[in-house]
Amino acid sequence: MAPQMDSPKSMSQRLAEFRLIPRIETFPWAVSFAQTWWGRAIILALFGLGLCVFYPSPFLALFVTLIIAFMTFMPEYRHLLLAVTPIVLVVLQSFKDPLHLSLNLSVIALGSVLYWCAMRWPKSHFGQRPVAYLLVGFTALILSACAAAPHTLAYSILWDLVGLMAVYIWFIAYALADRSSKPARDLPMELATFRPLWGSSNTPFPKGAAYLRRIEAQNQEQLAIVQLKGLKLLAWAILLFLFSNLWYRFFHGYLHIPMPDDALAMSVRGTPVAWHLCWESQILAYFELVLSVSIFGHYLIATCRMAGFNALRNTYRPLSSATLMEFFNRFYYYFKELLVDFFFFPTFLRYWKKHRRVRTVFATFAAVVFGNSFYHFTRDWHFIQSDGLLKSIVTYDVSIVYNVVLATGLSISQLRKRGPRHAGFLRGRLLPSIGVCFFYTIVLVFGSASRVFSIMETLRYLASMFFIHF
Amino acid sequence: MKGKAEIHEFVRELLTASGDDGPLTDDDSLLLSGRLQSIDAVEIVVFLEENFGIDFAQIGFDRDEIDSIDLIFALTQATASAN
Repeated sequence: MAPQMDSPKSMSQRLAEFRLIPRIETFPWAVSFAQTWWGRAIILALFGLGLCVFYPSPFLALFVTLIIAFMTFMPEYRHLLLAVTPIVLVVLQSFKDPLHLSLNLSVIALGSVLYWCAMRWPKSHFGQRPVAYLLVGFTALILSACAAAPHTLAYSILWDLVGLMAVYIWFIAYALADRSSKPARDLPMELATFRPLWGSSNTPFPKGAAYLRRIEAQNQEQLAIVQLKGLKLLAWAILLFLFSNLWYRFFHGYLHIPMPDDALAMSVRGTPVAWHLCWESQILAYFELVLSVSIFGHYLIATCRMAGFNALRNTYRPLSSATLMEFFNRFYYYFKELLVDFFFFPTFLRYWKKHRRVRTVFATFAAVVFGNSFYHFTRDWHFIQSDGLLKSIVTYDVSIVYNVVLATGLSISQLRKRGPRHAGFLRGRLLPSIGVCFFYTIVLVFGSASRVFSIMETLRYLASMFFIHF
Repeated sequence: MKGKAEIHEFVRELLTASGDDGPLTDDDSLLLSGRLQSIDAVEIVVFLEENFGIDFAQIGFDRDEIDSIDLIFALTQATASAN
């Protein structure tokens, strides 16, 4: 009998279903074991060991693991521990600087007061658009700091506040957005999400307290499953981390392919690297960005899951994306959610309601150009402090171009009529993925966060990649 | 006035377009579970605006309220009775 040939669909499905780490949370014996005392202890011990790979100090990993152990064995104290731990960490990290500590606690208190006000007066102008007030207030704070005379106490306090607000602003924004959430709201849970135990970037992982309440494990079996998923995700993060180290050593250490900023700098200095090295550098940058975001997102979400919350992964199979929008959704999920929650939907629901396409494009530009720019411009507030407001706006031009190109791509991606994917591996997966990779490779030329290069220098570098010199 | 069957059919189409041919019950989580994405939430919003006359700018938008077919249907009923 002739051997059966696999159809392209089944190959594609097999690839999609392949798991390097088995789905242990679906094995009944593993779930049962994870509910026993020994099972929990072993999972926690393995998790604590794994966490040491990513934490700067093993003591911090031990501290976080101990808190999670308390939550595992005494889930009735989970909310309280989550609410108290971030404040304890703030105190431990900055008790040597009383001014900074008091400002930090003041920002947390401000977030709580704003949340309370939005709850107390929901029909007021502030109660109806609290996030808009928050963003305008933060902008006013930055302008005040710019106006303060350098080397004065007011200057130090205002810029310290700007730095702290930049760290907390999106956490407070989610708390304010939670004001109308169901079921019941509670301040301790809101506090728990202000720089939560599991850490985060300036983007809240995973969103606000309302989201946490809905994904919380409700019984021992659910907790066992979510902790197994957490352990598995941490193992995946460690594998990616090891792979990433090999990747950098091979491509940049052994093959000496320059980093994108170095290739651009050499182009600006008049000693450009060979064209193929520019391409290699940019293509590598795409994969390196995916790797780094995956690693840090995975260990944060893994810790969140260990604490008993079944959060979606921040990065989920981004390289399988067939469209730009799909990649944007799969690559950095919680940042995309932030832009959608605070910029896309508020715009989409209010403006151009009679014109579907215009409405989508307008809301996409509001999110990706305005929202993304606001997020990164204020996150990198130290440029405003060191260069002054005007210069920091001028040197942000490359990022604006990045955002406009990205918004254009995402708008087109959304407007294109969606249909079923091609079944074949080549047309259904490989070619669309290469297209997405090509787009982001080009966009990343404008993605340098150093603000060293002008827009003309960046455009010249990009043109040289296509053999155009000016 | 359209009913739950139309909502079910619309959600089914969205899932199929996303490559999800799995079973769908009326209380299945759609957005929170990750089966549907933000772009699909946009489609649901437009579907509800056009077919049920819901104005989210007026009533406020919470993605949790469209997380399942049951919730979407309840939202349409609540809006209809409020009007």
